[in-house]
Amino acid sequence: MDAKWLGKWAGVSILVFITYIIFSGSISGYDLLTGAIVAVIVGGLVANFVITEPRKLLEVGRLGWLIVYAIYYFFAAEVRAHLDVMKRILHPRMPINPAIVRIPYRVETDYAMTLIANSITNTPGTVVVDLDPEKKIFYVHWIDAKTLEAEKARKHVSESFEYYAKRIFD
Amino acid sequence: MRTTKENLVIAISMALFVLLLSLVLAVGGLGYILPPPQVRLIASWYLRVTFNPFERLFSAMAPEGVTSIVWDFRGLDTLFETTVFYLAIIGSIAIARGVIGGHKEVDEKKLGLSLIVKSVTRISLGMILAVAASIALHGHLTPGGGFQGGASAAVAPLILLVVFSRYFIEKHGITKNTMLILRSIGLFGIGMTAFIVVIIALASGAPAFVFQNQPKTIAPTGMPFEIGGALTGGTLWFFNVFEMVAVAAGFTIIFLLLAIPEEEYKKILRLGGGEHE
Repeated sequence: MDAKWLGKWAGVSILVFITYIIFSGSISGYDLLTGAIVAVIVGGLVANFVITEPRKLLEVGRLGWLIVYAIYYFFAAEVRAHLDVMKRILHPRMPINPAIVRIPYRVETDYAMTLIANSITNTPGTVVVDLDPEKKIFYVHWIDAKTLEAEKARKHVSESFEYYAKRIFD
Repeated sequence: MRTTKENLVIAISMALFVLLLSLVLAVGGLGYILPPPQVRLIASWYLRVTFNPFERLFSAMAPEGVTSIVWDFRGLDTLFETTVFYLAIIGSIAIARGVIGGHKEVDEKKLGLSLIVKSVTRISLGMILAVAASIALHGHLTPGGGFQGGASAAVAPLILLVVFSRYFIEKHGITKNTMLILRSIGLFGIGMTAFIVVIIALASGAPAFVFQNQPKTIAPTGMPFEIGGALTGGTLWFFNVFEMVAVAAGFTIIFLLLAIPEEEYKKILRLGGGEHE
């Protein structure tokens, strides 16, 4: 029962409690009480599995970067990628140039890497098909491969995602 | 490979089949869809007594009709259903007796799916269990209940099994034996809840029924249907909680047994016979 484990426990319990309340769709006394009990039990069961560095939960700056990233990702990056793919679909000659390119990443934690990978996959036009955690490389299918060089492809596809992922999770 | 013409014939005949079937249903060719009025009386009776403070002697005092029927009006039936499910699991364990499934000492990082899937699983695991608990704990208020909550909770070990492999989860304590203990705790709880009103009534010497929830005319003892303004449904709340534990553990046992490779079963089974090489 060291302080680090208690931190993990508290962090996961908060996530479980919020999920419980949102799913139940009510904040009556019964929901708050049962939600707190469920959060404490489930949080204790999975704490070590979810969080490795509970100290990072206290750094508010990370949450700020997450909010900025969410706004940037959903309202700028996603919109730009959708417009680009829509243009390709509607264009009479369908100008596509597909290829699988190597894209390196330079973040340390698994969560930061997952955030970059899912950001790449969720924007239309690029899909992470595999990764090599030892060499720190994503293999990305790109609908319009502007370059086959790893570093240049990284600039086009994932540099902005990596900028935020590093500040949120690393 | 099918030709385009064959595909066309299949598509048109399927469309015709669906059209004709809907025509037959529309003109009542398969009989009347609605049950006869004398059967519908049962439905209106259940609607009247599921939650009715003015007819408390007949009511289950929980607003969820299905849970009231499942754990109050026909509670004994559900108890035997749970028993049948438990016997099925005992049967599976008996078939797999002696099958250990091999303990591989392998690098955890190399087992299972990619790091991306593993990270997403780590975050969603607690959320799956939260949703499952919410389904079970609101079983007496909204659709859902113990079985549904337990089945949802069993999704958590199932995805761990697929994403991280069986060796990983058995190392972290999700084994057949721990799940069997949890399952037994759940069943013991269901059994005790069936007798709880009898035990309370014994203290005052009043008569009571096994599987009783609310007070009846000749058995005045009953469980409180609300605590501090929050509806609890009397025994229904306890049944849902214990059923969730029992069902989640039971499903996990089955998933663990199914994840043992076929060769491991054959190794053990061939020791008995031997002639089917």
